[in-house]
Amino acid sequence: MSNAPGSPPLHSTSAMAVELAAITKRFGAFIANDGIDLVVRRGEIHAIIGENGAGKTTLMNILFGLLQPDEGSIRLNGETTVVADPAAAIKAGLGMVHQHFKLVPSLSVADNVFLGMEIRRHGLIDHAAQIERTRDLSKRFGLHVDPTERVGLLSVGIEQRIEILKVLVRGARTIILDEPTAVLTPQESRELFQTLRSFVAEGMTVIFISHHLEEVMEVSDTVTVLRNGRKVATRPTSELSKDELVRMMVGREVSFDRRPRAALHGGAVLEVKDLWARDDRRLPAVRGASFTVRAGEVVGIAGVAGNGQTELAEVLSGLRPASHGEAWLKGRDLTMLSPAAIREAGLAHVPGDRMVRGVDRNASIAANTLMGRQHRAPWSRGGVLDWKAIAGNAGALIKSFDIRAQGSGDPVKRLSGGNIQKVVLAREFTNGADFLLIDQPTRGVDIGAQEAIHDEIMRQRAAGRAILLISVQLDELAALADRILVMFNGRIMGEVAGDDADEDRIGMMMAGVSPELEPA
Amino acid sequence: MEILDKLINVALIAATLRTTAPILLVALGGSFTTKAGIFNIGLEGQMLAGAFFAVIGSIWTGSAFAGVACGVAAALAFALAFAVLVVTFRANEVVVGLALNILAGGMTISLMKAIFGTRGSIVGHGIVGLPKVQIPGAQALLGSWAPLISGFTPIVYVAFIAVPLLVLFYNRTRLGLYIRVVGEKPEAAEALGISITRVRYIASLLCGLLAGLAGAHLSLGYITMFTENMSSGRGFMAVAILIFSNGDPLKVLAGCLLFGFADAFSLRLQTFGFPSYLVLTVPYVVALTALFVLSYQARPKIIKETLASMQKLLSTDRNSASVDKNPQ
Repeated sequence: MSNAPGSPPLHSTSAMAVELAAITKRFGAFIANDGIDLVVRRGEIHAIIGENGAGKTTLMNILFGLLQPDEGSIRLNGETTVVADPAAAIKAGLGMVHQHFKLVPSLSVADNVFLGMEIRRHGLIDHAAQIERTRDLSKRFGLHVDPTERVGLLSVGIEQRIEILKVLVRGARTIILDEPTAVLTPQESRELFQTLRSFVAEGMTVIFISHHLEEVMEVSDTVTVLRNGRKVATRPTSELSKDELVRMMVGREVSFDRRPRAALHGGAVLEVKDLWARDDRRLPAVRGASFTVRAGEVVGIAGVAGNGQTELAEVLSGLRPASHGEAWLKGRDLTMLSPAAIREAGLAHVPGDRMVRGVDRNASIAANTLMGRQHRAPWSRGGVLDWKAIAGNAGALIKSFDIRAQGSGDPVKRLSGGNIQKVVLAREFTNGADFLLIDQPTRGVDIGAQEAIHDEIMRQRAAGRAILLISVQLDELAALADRILVMFNGRIMGEVAGDDADEDRIGMMMAGVSPELEPA
Repeated sequence: MEILDKLINVALIAATLRTTAPILLVALGGSFTTKAGIFNIGLEGQMLAGAFFAVIGSIWTGSAFAGVACGVAAALAFALAFAVLVVTFRANEVVVGLALNILAGGMTISLMKAIFGTRGSIVGHGIVGLPKVQIPGAQALLGSWAPLISGFTPIVYVAFIAVPLLVLFYNRTRLGLYIRVVGEKPEAAEALGISITRVRYIASLLCGLLAGLAGAHLSLGYITMFTENMSSGRGFMAVAILIFSNGDPLKVLAGCLLFGFADAFSLRLQTFGFPSYLVLTVPYVVALTALFVLSYQARPKIIKETLASMQKLLSTDRNSASVDKNPQ
């Protein structure tokens, strides 16, 4: 940890760099931020942590003027400020490094840093001076980068340094970083943390968004936890333990509303043996996972987001190559098959990101329930689609899955999140597949629809399907799963029986503590 | 050898520079729109309008330079129409470009008929051609090589001087930089508060300016007449050169010199009694061949990558779940 929180202010009369009061932001019926208060002291590293969709990015976008709050007020350096747009935020000494970089590949590093505020001499851009100043800044904060290099040739980690330099050159004193480590290698992350410490050493303030416990514990002075658009708590990092943090993130009041069930386990449907896979950065994301899912069984995968669950789901559905290992579905190795062949072999997949991989949002409900089986009877005959049969089938699915829509011709984008998810379930669960891969089935779904989706999953279990349920919500797993596997950093840390799911034990494993090391 | 000497000499190089000038100007104009991220297929029409109105202006005013100004104004009007439709109303740039090309072709023909009552071409009527600039001392300095730098119309000099100026423009001026940013990474421009619309309008109009000059060169330069469709595909050749040069001024120059040389060479061949229709295809054949070679050069990389990935696939098939091939 760097500067002790509460050290005297260096440049302004206020010890608070940022004070947000009762910020509320709605998108339609969805409340992204619900009366959030946030106080960031000058000269501290303040981490904002929470699951995907907890409202972290929305809150920071409001602070930086990219969004306007529906309610609440903002004080910067003790002064009430209306941050109308990013220009106003920059003027007030804020700088933001976004998740997606906006650099021009054909320009040099220095040109990118000074883009929009070029140093000019006799009306011409003074490249030498820009390079000089970029070099000075990069030395001062340990942001190693060659100012003359073309950005298109550089790695993502270095691109991030350039984005930070852009913010510094514009005179920022409070720097917001949105999930800065998501694109970095561990080595680059360590270097970034050093840079952040050098910022606070110069009296600057850092706010960074993360869902990685480790790095929050390592680098921050203060942590604010958000969950479902609300603030859970703001605490000094030194007073927190990792599993306390996990519990605040995923919810303390886990409702163990366990679904009644009869034991009817059949033979193994899916057998995963020592499976490895890499993420988009080519780093190992799944490390030697082995498990079995039997017919009539719900196996849950718990874990803080970003610990390899997404990659595991992608490998099992054929969307990502395995780098090592096997996954046998009814006697066929999935790692050798294309997504279509895996579906033929008996997989139904409810993807984690339903808008990207689950549905075509512009197509009708009927067309969405058709996808993937358009070549089969009764949906098509002799290569020609039978829209009457398709619409009839879609109508039946709308009824049986209780999809709230005008009719099967409705475009999916007009439906609410919960109803869109029901469209995906209706298609996937009526495919006759023996293995159901269900990823975050109730993310962004209202309570009523959540219940209905859980009912449907239990019905599939009763029908003898083998189900792998990936969820970041502990209560969902506790309610549905027969066994819960906990993933951390790509490994399966341990297994807990659903009947005696213990929040503390799961929380420890989610934070990376192996159950064997734990004193009994 | 004797024939070669007759074919390739100082006069041929001078002719090459002359024939390069119009396509160079129009391609440099297109460089602005290419860099700004607009696929401008309307160069042909802007050039044709420039050629026609340069002749009209020259007849009306009796001044070659006023004629050039008229030609440029007409090309600018076309460029503005293009910008309004493509930038403001977001119409498809290929459709708009093609439509404006057809409009320019049809409009020049009907206006010709309406004003002069003729079809085919405008000759005479008091068209004033551009003067040739004799550089003093060129003869004394270079002797028989003097035609290489002296005796061209002003627009030829403008075309070649424009090349280094554009290099400077793109690298050292704020507007040049912003045009590149808008074309390459519009979201970066937006984030910095650079108006994409404004930059694209400016790029379109700069393009019209140079395309108009190129057109005026065609009709008031070495021959003082206007004929139907006298741009004869130069605007399209410029588009092809732009695609392969990515609008970089020096690469544009190289591509245009190749085309100009082939053009001048084909004129030479005509005097040797080759069938003229065949000879007229020479510049286009040369240009197409060059483009083919360029694109073929880029190919092996794709083939190599495909082969590599296929090999990887085969080897993983053979020893099924093999050891990961990408150690950290």
